[in-house]
Amino acid sequence: MTLSTMLSTMSAGMLRTTGIFALTLLGSLPLGMIVALLRKSRFAIVRGFIRVYISVIRGTPLMLQLLVWYFGPYYLFNLPIRGWRFPSLILGFVVNYAAYFAEIYRGGIESIPVGQYEAATVLGYSKGKTFMRIILPQVIKRIMPSVTNEVITLVKDTSLAFTLAYQEVFSLAKQISASQTSFMPFLIAGVFYFIANYVVAFIMEQIEKALNYYR
Amino acid sequence: MIIEMNNIRKHFDGLEVLKDISFGVDSGEVVSIIGPSGSGKSTLLRCATFLETIDGGEILYMGEKAAHTDAEGRAVYVHHQQLQHFRSYCGLVFQQFNLFPHYNVLKNLTDAPIHNQHRSKDEAEATAMELLAKMGIADKAKAYPYQLSGGQQQRVAIARALAMKPEILFFDEPTSALDPELTGEVLKVIRQLAEEKMTMVVVTHEMPFAKAVSNRVLFMAGGVIVEQGDPREVFENPKEERTKQFLRVFDR
Repeated sequence: MTLSTMLSTMSAGMLRTTGIFALTLLGSLPLGMIVALLRKSRFAIVRGFIRVYISVIRGTPLMLQLLVWYFGPYYLFNLPIRGWRFPSLILGFVVNYAAYFAEIYRGGIESIPVGQYEAATVLGYSKGKTFMRIILPQVIKRIMPSVTNEVITLVKDTSLAFTLAYQEVFSLAKQISASQTSFMPFLIAGVFYFIANYVVAFIMEQIEKALNYYR
Repeated sequence: MIIEMNNIRKHFDGLEVLKDISFGVDSGEVVSIIGPSGSGKSTLLRCATFLETIDGGEILYMGEKAAHTDAEGRAVYVHHQQLQHFRSYCGLVFQQFNLFPHYNVLKNLTDAPIHNQHRSKDEAEATAMELLAKMGIADKAKAYPYQLSGGQQQRVAIARALAMKPEILFFDEPTSALDPELTGEVLKVIRQLAEEKMTMVVVTHEMPFAKAVSNRVLFMAGGVIVEQGDPREVFENPKEERTKQFLRVFDR
């Protein structure tokens, strides 16, 4: 196998890695907010459920969770496993990352001084408007560093998709390395991940800068 | 009467903070509330502005009932939607300003009128600029709160409350978080509003200010109004021993 075939095969894998990354963020960023809000629900059952969900997700390996999502429906309900690989993968990632984002959001929401809520109430903002117009913008600014951390971790965590034999860049690196008895694929994968994270860090830094117009 | 509070009771965790307080403010009146900390002054304001719910008693704005006591002796408030209508009668200026840090000064003044009172952007901005000019900070319209001094921030907060065109403005120790040299500029603005016959209730520790500006002074201690009346009477000729004792501390 020439270096250029290796590169083009692995680039295709990197595209799939990017797919997992993008879909996970797209699902987990908003879902995390819903989870964070449900955690403060006035119904004790909802709060309890969310608490259990977060502690299970944080207390078990993501790799194990992916296997459960993939094989669970087949073993438990005898559902067909065909075509379930990619959906289960995304589901596993979204549900996992939503729990972590929810905790970040919660920390951010709780850090806003109570005076902001009081000022908003006196000025006639409804609960929804208070959250959307006054609280949320300030929360986003405060949580940016933690979110950046989590997003960078996600770039690397996408490699766990190899447990479900999904052909993203890490799976391919392992396969090509074994079949070609070459170390090269690992180097290429490393460079790909590094570049991806460099781009992520750069974008997040720009967003943080853009939010620096106030303190 | 702009506001009338009758037989207000309020407790926190078994501690009675307001014990059967009755109190009303007429249009154009400036009332100062003085008293030691923990006397219930702030709680009274927070009940009047619906930040706290009363346990018993009634609250009326412009003769309309916002809260009353039912047959079982519990306070009952009007429906949520109507409460928003009552909120629009009153404004509150906080000790800690509580400006919105992510909005510039102009937007701090216009966001609520536009989004909560459905005024046009042009009208809201014109009102806001007028108020900022009156507060002497028209040049700060585009600045963010963190770029302002404490005194300027508090003047923005006063302007923000006035931008809602309230019938009555409450001040909760408006100068207590300020350096002594900045208190003057805030008190000057309140004095100016008093001259324009704005109805105001000011919780304050600035005795000379209370004496000079208000039409009536309330002395609160232990959750009750101990004494009230003409500022000169209360300050120079207090009748109650508790009032004398409190004022002596300030004379030293």
